[in-house]
Amino acid sequence: MTYLATFHWGWLLASLLLGLAMGWIAVVQHGQGVSKTTVRWLAGLAAALVAAALTHVIPGRFGYWLDLGLIMFAMYLAGCAGGSWLRDRVVSRHRA
Amino acid sequence: MRGFFRWSSKWWPGTIPLAVFWAIAAWTSTAPLEADLAARANAALRDTVLDKVRMAVAGRDVTFAADAFSEEGRRSAVASVEAVPGVRRVDDQTRLVPEARPFVWSAERDVARVTLGGSSPLPAIKNRLLEAARAGLGGVEVVDRMNLSRGAPPRFDNAALLLLDQIGKLKDGKVTISDTRVGLSGMARDLGGREAIAAALRNLPEGFSVAANEVKAPPYVFQAYKDPVAVTLTLTGYVPDNNVHAAVAAAAGRKFLREKVVDNLKASVGAPTGFANAVVPALGALARLSTGTLVVSDREVKLSGDALYEAAAVQIRAGLGKDFPQGWQFKPEISVRPAAAPVDASVCQQLFADLLAKAKISFESGRADIDPDSVALLDRLVETAMRCPAVNIEIAGHTDADGEVAFNQGLSERRAQAVVDYLVKAGLQAGRFTPVGYGSTQPLAGNDTDEGKAQNRRIDFVVRKGE
Repeated sequence: MTYLATFHWGWLLASLLLGLAMGWIAVVQHGQGVSKTTVRWLAGLAAALVAAALTHVIPGRFGYWLDLGLIMFAMYLAGCAGGSWLRDRVVSRHRA
Repeated sequence: MRGFFRWSSKWWPGTIPLAVFWAIAAWTSTAPLEADLAARANAALRDTVLDKVRMAVAGRDVTFAADAFSEEGRRSAVASVEAVPGVRRVDDQTRLVPEARPFVWSAERDVARVTLGGSSPLPAIKNRLLEAARAGLGGVEVVDRMNLSRGAPPRFDNAALLLLDQIGKLKDGKVTISDTRVGLSGMARDLGGREAIAAALRNLPEGFSVAANEVKAPPYVFQAYKDPVAVTLTLTGYVPDNNVHAAVAAAAGRKFLREKVVDNLKASVGAPTGFANAVVPALGALARLSTGTLVVSDREVKLSGDALYEAAAVQIRAGLGKDFPQGWQFKPEISVRPAAAPVDASVCQQLFADLLAKAKISFESGRADIDPDSVALLDRLVETAMRCPAVNIEIAGHTDADGEVAFNQGLSERRAQAVVDYLVKAGLQAGRFTPVGYGSTQPLAGNDTDEGKAQNRRIDFVVRKGE
């Protein structure tokens, strides 16, 4: 993991920033989000992929691409969470 | 918290550019990542002794194949690859280098090259052996056919290096180590090389033994070539020591009347016993030939050439082998020179005079036995007598003035008779020759000096005219 982080820090940072931006927008965006059922399905899928990555079942390059995808996705989610939280604090302060 | 769930349901649009990023990252980073991991894995193995290392990286998975020289070495090599940061899985295809039983190593030399074959214990030792072979045999091509194997006996490298030294002393041949047993075969380069190799083998490392030393010495060769055109006798090859050298050179000087002796002999050890006793009579036989080659190789004497007449050829073929020491072989290839054109009486007399002016028929002191050194001269006289078959010849014996007159008279008669006997035995008609003894009555020089006396002791061939 450390090796991947040092080797791909640029891409991971890009994912994080993308997440921050998306999280920032998401708080004030109108319109329909993903339904709860779909979220569950997606969470299940993500869990399955993480499990596959941790158990090293997928060999060779595909295994590497999966690792890379998951770690970028994790950074993205962290960025989204951070972005939404920040935006929420900004919005709340305005309201107050 | 509920708000957090509400926001998160709207995060999905960002996954589309994220997927694009992911694709680009995967596309651009895979090859550099694999190269980086391969380099790190190879660097981790730098201090491990392995053979046939193959490293294939797919993503972060490494397929690692190698031959290790011990189980610990194999395990530690796999562990060091596994410990390389970033490597996810190692597909372990390592194995141990096969064990050779028996552990056989060999070095074979032929004219142009040395081939190292069999098993070698470690790459470092293999390289040392190759370098030693190249350094020790300057200019000879060294071919490496060695495999790496386990199971070498202790101190194998020292034994192999010592044997590589010996290969330089061989013209062709093979040295082998089979476990701790050493075998050698082939032909030594020089006389004495066999002995030098045997001496070196005493320094084999502890535990090694010589199973077979079949190195042969090169044949001990002595050659003499009588060249009738250049009028030379060329001696080449070896003689045992300076005394024998002097004896051979002196015998050549006595037995060859006209030929200049070109002496290219070298002294060397390794001569067969009885060398001088075989070579000196063989030189006498060569002297009787008009042209010929004498080759003495170990205990085999080959004499080839042309005798002056048939009886001489028969005598040489049958007689020479009898003079040889025990165990010597004689292989004559004697033909007879075509007879020379006949000449008339006066030419015949001139030819006799020419021959006897260059050399004299000599006898044992005070006796009528012809000295073996004079046989070559007698053969030439016989050949000349054959060229004038109608001419009668007086064989005149003379002595110096030492001793009693009656004894000298008798001696000169007996010596003349001995020469006539020789001529008759050679196939000439007995009736053509008259032995006459003159004692000391017809001196050519004064009898007061040794030189004068030597001139007076002689056999003359006198053509009788008008008979």
